Amino acid sequence: MDQLSDEEVEVRGEEDEEEEDSDKEDQDLDKMFGAWLGELDKLTQSLDDGRPECPPQQKAPLRQETNMANFSYRFSIYNINEALNQGENVDLNALMADLSSIEQELSTINTKSSSSSNIVFSSLSLRQASLSMDEAARQTSSHSLSSRQHRRTGSVGTVSEHEVRNPSGRLSCGSISEPALYSLPHWFQFSEHSIGAADLCFTTQLSAPKRLTQPIRWPRSFTGTLCVSLKHSYLDRETSLILRNIAGKPPHLLTKEEQAAKLKAENIRVALEKIKEAQVKKLVIRVHLSDESSKTMMVDERQTVRQVLDSLLDKSHCGYSPDWSLVETITELQMERIFEDHENLVENLLNWTRDSQNRLMFTERIEKYALFKNPQNYLLGRKETCEMAERNKEALLEECFGGSSVSVPEMEGVLWLKEDGKKSWKKRYFLLRASGIYYVPKGKAKTSRDLVCFLQLDHVNVYLGHDYKSKYKAPTDFCMVLKHPQIQKKSQYIKYLCCDDIRTLQQWINSIRIAKYGKQLYINFQEAMRRTEAAYDWSSLSSSSIKSGSSSSSLPESQSNHSSQSDSGVSELASSGHTRSQSVVSSIFSDAWRRGTQGEVTTPPCHCLSRLHPCPKPHPPPSRPTPPPPPPSPLPPQSQQGLPLWPSSLTSWRT
Amino acid sequence: MAAWDLSVKVEDLGPDAPPVTISVASDLHVGGVILKLVEKTQMQRNWSDHALWWDQKQRWLLRTAWTLEKYGIHADARLLFMPQHKPLKLGLPSGKTVMLKACFSNPVFQTVMGICRMLNIRHPEELSLLRPVEEKKKKKDKDMTEEIYDLTEVPLSSVSRPCLYNGMPAHFADSEQMEGVYKMLSVTQPPPAPEVIAKQYRPASVVDKSHIHGRWLDSSRCLMQQGIQENDRLWLRFKYYSFYDIEPKYDVVRLTQLYEQARWAILLEDIDCTEEEMMLFGALQYHINKVALSEPQMMSSNAALDDLESALQSLEVKMEGDSSSASDLLENMTAPELNDYLKIFRPKRLTLKGYKQYWFKFQDTSISYFKSKEESIGEPIQQINLKGCEVAPDVNVAAQKFLIRLLIPAPEGMNEVYLRCENEQQYAQWMAGCRLASKGKSLADSSFQSEIQSIRSFLAMQKTNSGSSNNSAASDESINTHSLVSPRYHKKYKPKQLTPRILDAYQNVAQLSLTDALMRFLQIWQALPDFGLSYVVVRFKGSRKDEVLGIAPNRLIRIDLGVGDVVKTWRYNNMKQWNVNWDIKQMAIEFEGNVNIAFGCVTADCKIVHEFIGGYIFMSTRSREKSDTLNEELFHKLTGGHEAL
Repeated sequence: MDQLSDEEVEVRGEEDEEEEDSDKEDQDLDKMFGAWLGELDKLTQSLDDGRPECPPQQKAPLRQETNMANFSYRFSIYNINEALNQGENVDLNALMADLSSIEQELSTINTKSSSSSNIVFSSLSLRQASLSMDEAARQTSSHSLSSRQHRRTGSVGTVSEHEVRNPSGRLSCGSISEPALYSLPHWFQFSEHSIGAADLCFTTQLSAPKRLTQPIRWPRSFTGTLCVSLKHSYLDRETSLILRNIAGKPPHLLTKEEQAAKLKAENIRVALEKIKEAQVKKLVIRVHLSDESSKTMMVDERQTVRQVLDSLLDKSHCGYSPDWSLVETITELQMERIFEDHENLVENLLNWTRDSQNRLMFTERIEKYALFKNPQNYLLGRKETCEMAERNKEALLEECFGGSSVSVPEMEGVLWLKEDGKKSWKKRYFLLRASGIYYVPKGKAKTSRDLVCFLQLDHVNVYLGHDYKSKYKAPTDFCMVLKHPQIQKKSQYIKYLCCDDIRTLQQWINSIRIAKYGKQLYINFQEAMRRTEAAYDWSSLSSSSIKSGSSSSSLPESQSNHSSQSDSGVSELASSGHTRSQSVVSSIFSDAWRRGTQGEVTTPPCHCLSRLHPCPKPHPPPSRPTPPPPPPSPLPPQSQQGLPLWPSSLTSWRT
Repeated sequence: MAAWDLSVKVEDLGPDAPPVTISVASDLHVGGVILKLVEKTQMQRNWSDHALWWDQKQRWLLRTAWTLEKYGIHADARLLFMPQHKPLKLGLPSGKTVMLKACFSNPVFQTVMGICRMLNIRHPEELSLLRPVEEKKKKKDKDMTEEIYDLTEVPLSSVSRPCLYNGMPAHFADSEQMEGVYKMLSVTQPPPAPEVIAKQYRPASVVDKSHIHGRWLDSSRCLMQQGIQENDRLWLRFKYYSFYDIEPKYDVVRLTQLYEQARWAILLEDIDCTEEEMMLFGALQYHINKVALSEPQMMSSNAALDDLESALQSLEVKMEGDSSSASDLLENMTAPELNDYLKIFRPKRLTLKGYKQYWFKFQDTSISYFKSKEESIGEPIQQINLKGCEVAPDVNVAAQKFLIRLLIPAPEGMNEVYLRCENEQQYAQWMAGCRLASKGKSLADSSFQSEIQSIRSFLAMQKTNSGSSNNSAASDESINTHSLVSPRYHKKYKPKQLTPRILDAYQNVAQLSLTDALMRFLQIWQALPDFGLSYVVVRFKGSRKDEVLGIAPNRLIRIDLGVGDVVKTWRYNNMKQWNVNWDIKQMAIEFEGNVNIAFGCVTADCKIVHEFIGGYIFMSTRSREKSDTLNEELFHKLTGGHEAL
């Protein structure tokens, strides 16, 4: 615990009421942290409301300002290693400030509740956290302690500013340092063996700084009981016995004691829920943009990729498009994957190792939803790209995803399979079915019963391989990889497949996505389109913001097809965050797909959307008169609005 | 106008009775003829269902206001006076037979609607009738009388009111025997004995399958017109593989029969699947049977309670739930864990060491182990988090081998770890824990106990299988696993080999409720590549050889008989029009982009093919019309052919 006191001293030492310097860099950071705070604020709010998030219409800049007014905090959580390398210690300092403020709050509460209970944090995580904290601190001091000063001005809400004194000397907060990834979760964990009311308070308040303004009041009696806690149980034996007895009784039959016990149980239940909430892990993540810059943001372990994308889009004025994606690049294996919108981000990031070189990119990717923009290229099992009328696309999508079960596209053909542990590739005839990927064994026909299961899709994800021609001597550079998300290093359990061309590769990847996620994928797309439409409406109202009157906002491929291939082999595909959507995709990809996507260039995004939802707008009458065929006579008029699913050809009969 | 004699055979007088002769004039309407007939026979009975059938012209005289002249009836007409509803033996998808009164005078489409109303199946447009495959009557001994569920006593008028009582239509509530019929309809049948599966007719090729589809009745003509007689046997099957709006609450019978049809399609290899898929189908069948046995009441009573009753019940549940959730929570606070001595083996490590015994502790979603129980307070030798891992059983009850194979993902790859348990009890607990942990659930999860239970029941099954196989029907659990798979696998695997494979698949479905399991079965069935294909042998225009046309809910495919490959796919979405040339029995279809195809039908009447295509187009229009009323007129227009015009 000696190490910890060092750190505390340092943190306290750096407290200062005054803002001393305010160079430009600082202001930028201020903004960033203000925004970050706003983010936190929003998060907490949504926690409180139980609603998933704020509506996207709420614009970040506004909130930023109010936040700046209310909170004079300035802190940051940043990649320490990088920060140190760049000589920017500001972030680290700010992080410290943040931590120390939390400590302060802790101590405030502690004195208020005037309990001397021992606060025993989960020892393992704490040790880990404090160690890394310590290390960070030492680095700070050695590098630039003198050059910069920590500032902390004011504090949150009603919690009065006072000297931080950690009463027990044991309480500490920290974060694990990992490149591009900070994990702060363990602050809030505590040993389950001993717990008092005070702990409950801490955890609740820690988790949601916003709530500091309204401290939770615990009933006195409650505190009393809780302090006498048994091992493994928050309730004393007597109470739990009573509770067990009354489990089935209707409320009016309960005796006074029983009612009291019930009330107590209820209180505990509420408290437990708060604990649960407090135990929500929050990660500070670093998101890389195309222009080599990066953003730091805090994510809740419950947030989906869609939610994170929304808040990123809210903050960076890059225009809405459903193509914005969070891409995981696994540098060591030279592969990447676009996270699906419904996936949990934190869960995925936790698969990364401590020393991981992995990156999380925030970038536009047309391949994310190309499947839904031009379904005919993916769902029909055709070899050549083709165009399709919009309403037919819609019908096709409805057919594939609208029913009770999703039909997996019939993907089959010869692929190259990398042999285990060797740099040689073997040809095999593969087939995709809903139940997994199969291949045809040598000398057999491709009847279903003779197929051999290559792998099932429950446990694996599909990744895009980069530059495997040189890395693994692949026949082409169009490779996909199937692996368990937790595997981060070379392993025999990673399966590498190589296609002859980009088209085949994209068809396979998308078909596997359909087989794996099914209807969820379509729901994601529809949701993304809804967001786009909302943003489109909003921006057309406000003249100052991004001009999205042109059709191009959802059509990155029609704009610029730059190829930015980084020398490392992992293409750092990304786009600038602040200018108009500059989609930078590898040219090889866009070339192959331009043809297929040209069909929709003329369609403005909102039109696109209206087609996806059943709209009241009647269908235009078919222009081409065709004589009705003899056997089925013209359809009755009442079916007229009932046939949008049905192709234009048939509608002609109705005229 | 001159009067002339018209002789009419009255069925109710008996087959040998002479025709009744009445004196009529050409301007007499059919209603008048019937009135005279009834007066002449002097029989007291309800004649309301009776109508005249004109034998030579093969048509019913249903328009009572039409005169004889308008119908063109002269003295030489052979007329038959008989009821429109007659008993029919109906083979259900489950293989059971019901006897019921079906309408012989309306188009088959309406007859099926009536049958489905009686059986309580929604969306009758998806079903139709077909002539059964003749069973080979080789073995006389097998010719025992099969059980026929009789529904002929149901008054036709009562069927029209769909009022539900206790989850079933009112007409099933009349007697115990009727309730038995409803149970047969709404509860899945137990797995058939392997011999029964083996004995059934199995289409061996696409051509065989196409012959079955030549048996469908014409939807636009009535049963009488298609030569169906009273008491004849017909099959009721789902014909259009486009199942609209399945709602388990209202579709108890529909769902059950759909499952039965799917199950038999799998067992008889009517539709191909891979071995892995077959094992999953087997596991689901096992599970469905088990759950159906244990909660047969749930199905019917839960299906549709009276509003008040259900509201009350849900309220009750809610209240119970509230109180129990608190106490549950309290119980959960004592975080459950497992502690025991187990043996561990890591096949990956290149050691010759075998299993080593340690003290194991299962907590939350991870396993840690210690040298001994005494040292379990300290640091574990290793802690393994099982989240996301793959769990496979390796059990041989006879040999007392209880192995849990774990494949645990790590950044470096997958780690293989085997845990060896001493006995069944221990195995069931740890296995259940591992399975839950692999899904990220802790031991505190509510499904832990049921998981243990299902593992034990499967162990029991293996025990009976590996023991004396004659000891059948000892308990409900003892199912010959050959009953769950197609005959191909009877030859390939012994029941003993099959059991662990099905168990493997079973672990993913063991938690499903009956309805969910049925739905899952149907979903996997629908996801098979060949799902929904009805085959017809055709001869394409300009081609010299027979080929097969596959008709699916959304497309037509052309299959080369020689290779068995799909040569070409046409989607209905691109279809512009189609024509039938009834004289030369040829169909011509035009697709967008100037694609024209024409073919003659070999194994089925071209009316059947025409009806299939029109029918699927009709099915696709349904989703837009939210009303429940069936647009019968549209169906006939799309499928009718020249007679409908």
